[in-house]
Amino acid sequence: MTEAASDVAVRGARRWLTPLLWGGLLLGACLGMQHLEGLFRLVETDSRSVIYARADFLTLLGRHLLVVGVAALAAVVIGVGAAVAVTRRAGRDFLPLVAQLASIGQTFPPVAVLALAVPVLGFGTLPIIVALLLYGLLPIVRNTLAGLQGIDPGVREAARGMGMTSGQLLRQVELPLAAPVILAGIRTSVTINIATAAIGATVGASNLGDPIISGIVNGNTAYVLQGALLIGLLALTVDSVFARLQPAASTG
Amino acid sequence: MSVGGIKAIVSRDASRPNVVLVSLLLATLAGWLGLDAVSVAPNRIVPGQGHAAWDVAGLPGLAISLLPMLAVLWLAWRPSRERLRLALALVVVMLAALPAWLALAAARLVDADLPQARMGVGAGAWVALFLLLLAMIELRTRLSLSRPLGWSLLLAPLVSLVAWLTFGLEPLALRQEFQGRSAGFIAAIGEHLLLVGAAVGISLVLGVCLALTMRRWERVRTLGFAVLNFLQTIPSLALFGLLLAPLAWLSAHVGWLAALGVSGIGWAPALLALVGYSLLPMVRNTYVALDEVDPGVIDAARGMGMSRAQVFRQVRLPLALPVILEGVRITTVQAIGLTAVAALIGAGGLGTFIFQGLGQAAMDLVLLGALPILVMALVADALLGALTDLLRPGGAT
Repeated sequence: MTEAASDVAVRGARRWLTPLLWGGLLLGACLGMQHLEGLFRLVETDSRSVIYARADFLTLLGRHLLVVGVAALAAVVIGVGAAVAVTRRAGRDFLPLVAQLASIGQTFPPVAVLALAVPVLGFGTLPIIVALLLYGLLPIVRNTLAGLQGIDPGVREAARGMGMTSGQLLRQVELPLAAPVILAGIRTSVTINIATAAIGATVGASNLGDPIISGIVNGNTAYVLQGALLIGLLALTVDSVFARLQPAASTG
Repeated sequence: MSVGGIKAIVSRDASRPNVVLVSLLLATLAGWLGLDAVSVAPNRIVPGQGHAAWDVAGLPGLAISLLPMLAVLWLAWRPSRERLRLALALVVVMLAALPAWLALAAARLVDADLPQARMGVGAGAWVALFLLLLAMIELRTRLSLSRPLGWSLLLAPLVSLVAWLTFGLEPLALRQEFQGRSAGFIAAIGEHLLLVGAAVGISLVLGVCLALTMRRWERVRTLGFAVLNFLQTIPSLALFGLLLAPLAWLSAHVGWLAALGVSGIGWAPALLALVGYSLLPMVRNTYVALDEVDPGVIDAARGMGMSRAQVFRQVRLPLALPVILEGVRITTVQAIGLTAVAALIGAGGLGTFIFQGLGQAAMDLVLLGALPILVMALVADALLGALTDLLRPGGAT
């Protein structure tokens, strides 16, 4: 019994090995960047400073995560909510428009959306969150719709036959069955948003994009490398977390 | 999976109001009445002063502008087919009239003695434009008009926009930004298209070769998809940054590369990164397309005495073509957006205007960069989508 439990725990730990590894690398890189000064000196020989010092890397990472996290959370709530609403009887009228909007909207380049958000909302962190939220909605809405519409009608009928109410049907049958597709949509949304948030450094949000932008402006390759390294590690960490979650959702 | 994926368009009786259209029109009305239609500034530096819709043409003018909206509302209340057709016509007329309304605002509100004076499009007009376009999509779906017909409906508003931009909208800030750099604008569009075209072309050739290799060797497939998935995860700005150092080193140490114009910034890292991002959708679609051709069809072709090469060229490839083209479509749309980011590392293109504009807090310059990118992405998506439909077996060929 205990052996079996520990076996499960070990297997669980192994499943999370990749995310832990990337996450550890990310944290290590944030904390230990100063110790790599010699290495960056090789790349950038003529600059006085080779370690980005305007802000702490951990702070930048925290702000990046905050912006992407808040936007993603809101996008999941609104996106899944909207997709569920338009597949119910009361909201069915809106289904064609919402489906078309989600599909056309994904043709819009994220940079263009970010750039168009600034004239309307102004500079700073909040406009970026709003832009990321709006853009991040599209893959989530689209995948939730695909997931809900892909459910075999027979399954629904069977659940109704068992006497389930609409709420029970949604919570216990429809959402769990659609979960893998919804999760794939959230993964796409978050991946795009991590990249777009970095570009947000040009419109006044201070995050991991900052060292890159300031490095490009001042011609300091070392800054660019530090920012690029950290954003790359962040993207890989988050993506590996989703990669672990996905099969778990499909089997469970 | 695209627009055709909406399975259940509910058949509805005409006695019930079209709720979607009613809500869209009510929102349009609210935006039109409550938000600034235009903003006027004496020069580029001073922030503009907002003007509501009734400032433009007084209360009578406002009343006239409200008439078509109310008419569509009334038509949507009992949506028979004829009434919806009429509503669609009214929406198209409103879209076509929007530039004329802006020209009227420019004539009445902008001081003709100030050559520097400029007019910006206000939130009210943008909201109206956006919601009316949504109303058009909704009506197109309800009337189940074909895609080409839907696109051709945009022709009248576009002609009107171009005509008014040429003859009556001199003070429009967007137009003034364009006039200041018309040569640069054309050049930027050229650079943008060239980078996108080169990236898509290279990745198409590489992608097909890679997909063919993957079909032959299992090992290559696993490794190839792992590497390409990894690349796709890295954010664009980071990839551009990571390419900067090695390319700078190469151009400093390899003479002929430097002579070609390769350096840490500019087109070289941009093109490399673009090809890297484009490969995944291209390879995935090509691989899946070639793999999913019905084995029965291949058997039949072999049975007819076709050689291996003939089977590939005359059966497998034509059948796979629509899915491969789908890959080209995804890649092209993605590359158009990524090229905008490449402006940050000096690759030129329309992104230059976006980042210049953001730097100078000149929002109309940002629009001058962002709007054409948006249009380009939509047009590329529509054209390649239409081409895919055409090549699909049983399509219009």
